[in-house]
Amino acid sequence: MPDMSVLAGPQQHQFNPYAENGGTILAIAGADFTVVAGDTRQSEGYSIQTRYAPKVFRLTDRAVLAVNGFAADGNMFVKKVKQRLEWYRHAHAKDMPLRAIARLIQTMLYAQRFFPYYVYNILGGIEEDGSGAVYSFDPVGSYEREACRAAGAAQSLVQPFLDNQIYFKNQTAAPGQSHPTHLPLSDVLSIVIDSFTSATERHIEVGDGLEIYIVLAKGRSLQGVEGLRGLREMSSREDGERVFVLQRELKKD
Amino acid sequence: MECSFALTGKDYVLVAADTTSARSIIKMKVDEDKIKTLSPHLLMAYSGEPGDTVQFAEYIERNIRLYHIRNLYPLRPQSAASWIRRALAESLRSRQSYTVNLLVGGFDTADKTPHLYWIDYLGTMATVPFAAHGYGSYFASSLLDRYHNPDGTLEEGLDALRRAIDETAKRLVVSPGKYTVKVVDKDGVRVIDL
Amino acid sequence: MSIMDHNGGSVIAMAGKDCVAIASDLRLGAGAQTIAMNFEKVFPVTDRLYMGLPGLATDVITLREKFRYLTNMFHIKESRPLQPSTFAHLLSSTLYERRFGPYFCEPVLAGLELTPSGTYQPYIAGTDLIGCLNFAKDFIVAGTASDKLFGVAEGLWEPDLGPEDLFETISQTLLNSVDRDAYSGWGAIVHVITADKVVTRTLKGRMD
Repeated sequence: MPDMSVLAGPQQHQFNPYAENGGTILAIAGADFTVVAGDTRQSEGYSIQTRYAPKVFRLTDRAVLAVNGFAADGNMFVKKVKQRLEWYRHAHAKDMPLRAIARLIQTMLYAQRFFPYYVYNILGGIEEDGSGAVYSFDPVGSYEREACRAAGAAQSLVQPFLDNQIYFKNQTAAPGQSHPTHLPLSDVLSIVIDSFTSATERHIEVGDGLEIYIVLAKGRSLQGVEGLRGLREMSSREDGERVFVLQRELKKD
Repeated sequence: MECSFALTGKDYVLVAADTTSARSIIKMKVDEDKIKTLSPHLLMAYSGEPGDTVQFAEYIERNIRLYHIRNLYPLRPQSAASWIRRALAESLRSRQSYTVNLLVGGFDTADKTPHLYWIDYLGTMATVPFAAHGYGSYFASSLLDRYHNPDGTLEEGLDALRRAIDETAKRLVVSPGKYTVKVVDKDGVRVIDL
Repeated sequence: MSIMDHNGGSVIAMAGKDCVAIASDLRLGAGAQTIAMNFEKVFPVTDRLYMGLPGLATDVITLREKFRYLTNMFHIKESRPLQPSTFAHLLSSTLYERRFGPYFCEPVLAGLELTPSGTYQPYIAGTDLIGCLNFAKDFIVAGTASDKLFGVAEGLWEPDLGPEDLFETISQTLLNSVDRDAYSGWGAIVHVITADKVVTRTLKGRMD
């Protein structure tokens, strides 16, 4: 039987400009530091495209951006943010403050309101007052400052865990005591690593590798990062805010 | 559109249902009683697909009556509600299922407690202090959350019911005009003029 | 929205050291509207076996009644205790009987199995809606918050927890998971089963 379906009517082709590339990102703010992390698996459907595609990027010595969703849009968006930050540096001879970067990202995302970057952004870093900060965005630029946020494929697995461990939700402090508003860096790193090993265990799109960016406020001691194996410094100078990256393996199955 | 409400109080259950019988956008009848008295201390408000409702309600009514005649005592509210629920649940997986939503309210004369059950056409049953079906439920459930008192007097219960009915009349575009209100307590079933 | 999500609700079971725990939320909804906040989804099967039934509420009630009947018949006919592993296969075959018109529930089991040496061993299991058994050694989750439960349980659970620690772990897991799920929550109930007793506690939760 010849294929007669072509005779049935005009054939239509549809181009889908978006894809979903899996992975998960996460950021937690401390009193004088911020941790931003993401896994490095990039997938489409059941296929793994690469086991090492970074989703977390250093923007300045005090700002780190994690992007998750459609990888092509994510990479292009980071490229454009970096470009805008370089122009700012040339015009003003300094790095853009974190809260200004957050507002810049909002305008850049909303500029594409009717053909959005299919990307969830989490911006982490150090505010001008020296405090750790996390800004989370939706694809069209709605954003808010928070203490912690997870996004991506395993958001639903990680976020309630963070509610419990960072915000102490559903936990009652001992009489006369209160929960800390910010955790020490070593605790935060443990929670981040636990979150990703858990997500790797139960979500097929999460795994392969983990990249954890640590941003320290100006003048903060290296307490909490000293002696960490595989720690790499990314900052341009030692007397300002400092950025470190920590790489860990995750299960590859 | 069809609305039914019910609530429990101290030793009584109030059941209210609108009196309109509609087909499409036309009101065919405005004095239909859609609350059946199944046994001396048991009420059932029914709503849903026209045709299904009366057929199903009469089927239930006669079977509950049959039980009463055979055993000389009626089914207690818990047992009656369970049996009615099962009838709906079995109907759901048949070729033609009944699309009927129910509020079953009764007074258990054995342990002297009021009981109210919310039952939908799927056979979902919930034991509740107050309940509603239809568009009126959006107003009634929030109002009764605020104003319902499980230990309230009949007057208090009627006040809460009035709030639900009045709000539905005020805010619902397709609100029904009239309701029948019945109460069941230790003395049996009575019709109440709101 | 799937039929399985119509009424909302979640269940979780966890294994500990010589104990198991099973818990559910208390919400019953009809889509986004909440109908009742006292709808338990965990039911006793024997003194040392509980079954959680999240899913379509009409089938939750029907299956609860069906398995009460089947376990009663087992006791009458066999006059011996019903073991969790036996019940798991009864559950599986009963669900598979309706392979092409299933009950829309995903049962979860938690109990203690009698070993030949006379001791009790933790036993948890879950099935899908057509009875495909899943024997996990750590925890089983099901319901509208299952993805959240997986994430939190994977982070909080550890092997060989005693009854009190297991209670705290399962409670924290359930409460924090249902708080991120619009279709589950409105309080919870937790059963901790040990060889000599079952401790049942009702938990308050967020009401939004």
